[in-house]
Amino acid sequence: MKGAPDILAWLWLIAGTAIAGLSVWGLARWVGLPIQYNVRNVIVRWRSSVATILGIGAVVAVFVVLRAMARGIEASSASTGDPANILVVRKGSQAESGSLVTRDHFRIIGGFDEIARNASGQPVISAEIVVIVSVPRAGGMGDANTLLRGITPRGMELRPQVSLVDGRWFQPGKREIVVARSLSRRFPDFRIGGVVKAGSARLQVVGHFEAGGSAFDSEAWMDADEARSIFDREQYSSLLLRPRNEAAARVLIGRVESDKRLSLRAEGEVAYYSKQTMTAVPIKYIAGILGAAMSIGAVFAAMNTMYASVASRTREIGTLRVLGYSRTSVVVCFLIEGAFLAAIGGVVGCALARTTDGFATGTLDFQSFAETVFQFRVTPDIMGLGLVFAVVIGILGSLLPALRAARTPVISALKSA
Amino acid sequence: MTVSTFILKNAVRNPRRSLLTVWSVAVSTALLVCLMTLQRELTVPPEAEGASLRVIARNRVSLTQPLPAKQLAEIERIPGIVAVTPFTYFGGQYNDEEFTSFAQFAVEPKRFRSLLVEGRISDGVYEDWEKDRTGCLVGRDTMKRYGLKIGDRMRFRGTFYPCDLDLRISAVFEGTVDDRGVFFHHRLLDELTGDLGTVGTWYLRVESADRVNAVIAAIDAKFANTSAEVRAESERAFQMGFVGMLGNVAALIRTVNGVIVFTLALVSVSTMSMAIRERFRELAVLKALGFKRRDLFGFILAEGFGLSALGGALGVLGAWGFWNTIDIQKLSNGILLVFEVTPRIMATAAAVASILGVVASIGPAIAVGRMSVVGGLKTLD
Repeated sequence: MKGAPDILAWLWLIAGTAIAGLSVWGLARWVGLPIQYNVRNVIVRWRSSVATILGIGAVVAVFVVLRAMARGIEASSASTGDPANILVVRKGSQAESGSLVTRDHFRIIGGFDEIARNASGQPVISAEIVVIVSVPRAGGMGDANTLLRGITPRGMELRPQVSLVDGRWFQPGKREIVVARSLSRRFPDFRIGGVVKAGSARLQVVGHFEAGGSAFDSEAWMDADEARSIFDREQYSSLLLRPRNEAAARVLIGRVESDKRLSLRAEGEVAYYSKQTMTAVPIKYIAGILGAAMSIGAVFAAMNTMYASVASRTREIGTLRVLGYSRTSVVVCFLIEGAFLAAIGGVVGCALARTTDGFATGTLDFQSFAETVFQFRVTPDIMGLGLVFAVVIGILGSLLPALRAARTPVISALKSA
Repeated sequence: MTVSTFILKNAVRNPRRSLLTVWSVAVSTALLVCLMTLQRELTVPPEAEGASLRVIARNRVSLTQPLPAKQLAEIERIPGIVAVTPFTYFGGQYNDEEFTSFAQFAVEPKRFRSLLVEGRISDGVYEDWEKDRTGCLVGRDTMKRYGLKIGDRMRFRGTFYPCDLDLRISAVFEGTVDDRGVFFHHRLLDELTGDLGTVGTWYLRVESADRVNAVIAAIDAKFANTSAEVRAESERAFQMGFVGMLGNVAALIRTVNGVIVFTLALVSVSTMSMAIRERFRELAVLKALGFKRRDLFGFILAEGFGLSALGGALGVLGAWGFWNTIDIQKLSNGILLVFEVTPRIMATAAAVASILGVVASIGPAIAVGRMSVVGGLKTLD
């Protein structure tokens, strides 16, 4: 299910590049100059070509990597949750860690008959608590907040994405935790057998789980009742439940919204998580600003290269004009050359950026106020954007030199050394 | 013609190229300055004068875990403390803004006054706030940003607390490192939540700087092995804790800085090699005329240095001028506070640009040094 859109995106990238290539080829045909002419020019002047290519490559790489980082954060939110589940949180809360559900509310909602029953006839609803626990980073680099979820057996059934990969699950009533493997790599205390100090309580790590790159991959889990007693919480943070069917889900959401006793919000679990992407917003913003600012420098550098290229080929250009090529042809010719040069830069940049694909890192999530672990995702659409960006730099950089080449008077061009 | 005018004439013989080089170095240097400033803003929070005297005590579990209000009496008994107030982060959304960039804290106004060491009341009367249970004390920057005046109301929707605030502005403060905050009565929060027993953190002021460590140790020890263990730290250490939470962001900015330096080097290298290739024959003539290898070396390095130093200087000054004229709080929606371009950052960026100019000219200079006069004279173009 996850592979399909990926393949489609790759096809789009390849198709897009092919169409762009073909239209350039058509343009070159229309001008009447073989495209090899441009290609060879780029090769002959390899020193300045390499400098321009690397310069544009660096700009594209920075842009693509930052976008890939934002995409990674979004992807971990977007791949979280089961479409059949509904999450209930306090109205106005921005994250589960800032939500409160009282025991009364739990009792009221737990009695709704829209909720599915499991084989033993119990309603499939899990009242959970979320606690932020400060844990020391590796190498004495200070502390980081991590998200600890007190969870019930029902809650684990409701999250089939999560599977144990090492050790064992926690035992109810014991001070044991199971940590997401990707989170455990970032904190020495989270290795199996490690002990996490949460205030005066000591929590022993007994297992690691994996959650398929979802937001649960940034969590640690323990028994809900035990967590409530350790952290002195009378109330819950959220409820996760499974309605009987889609019709029941709609009715249930409506009931929660309209019930005056509850100031709660019910929402599909998938929809809820897909909105938890506030952290990605400033990164995208920075990617845009940095990309734009760095591209100014790159355009100047490309202009430099292209001007030099035009200057050293003055006689050649004169010859072309004498042979009957129009001014427009000369302009198009140089634009193609600039775009070609930049496209190589774009490919180099994308290739560089692509090496960071899957790189796991973590930062503070502004909404949950806990460390979120994510992977860089250098996807085809971001690389496509990077390529377009490169070509735009190339065309902007070669426009003025191309116009200059076209304006050169034929006679004086032929006379020049 | 002196040597310096010779170098100068060479540098501007192709004015368009020189201009493009200078501009692209300038843009990259300006960017470098911006990123270094951003990095500093994120990793070195502004230091307040009074910060060395102030201590924040939070729950050892994490900042979000509350503390029992009854700890107050025990903290007050610790010698060396001048004042202590509950200090609870409310985290509200102002006027249904998507993102509220200034913080709101519940404090006890009477106790809070002596913690506001470097702050002064610029408008309204502090005592009015003390008397008005729904009143609030607001930072000048926030007043200015939203065009507020004394007596106006500020409404906040609770995102952590299950209650909303409707406050009346009683007084305005300024002169602290962060004049954005909104402070209101802790009693109001207690009433709204119906929870009289908990606070977010304790904020306290110590008599003198040399007693700070003793006070921190005393607080930590006092609540060790209780159900709510406390971690006290100086205000500065507390701020740096936030930096630690950001994780790899600082490393990321450093990497981007590296890439920018790399592109700077590329620009310089390509320009200098173009400039030299263009006049290979001339340099051969100079050699034939008897100029020594080190003279030519000097000409080339000086030109490379001059162009990139000029670009670097323009970039640094441009960035400095830009950030000094622009209102960073307005631009960043209140997220960034000072964004100070320090002399140190300016010097570093300018040095990087100039050194790269020299380094970039070494390659072409060596090529010129190696060439034989005959070979050089034969080169076309």
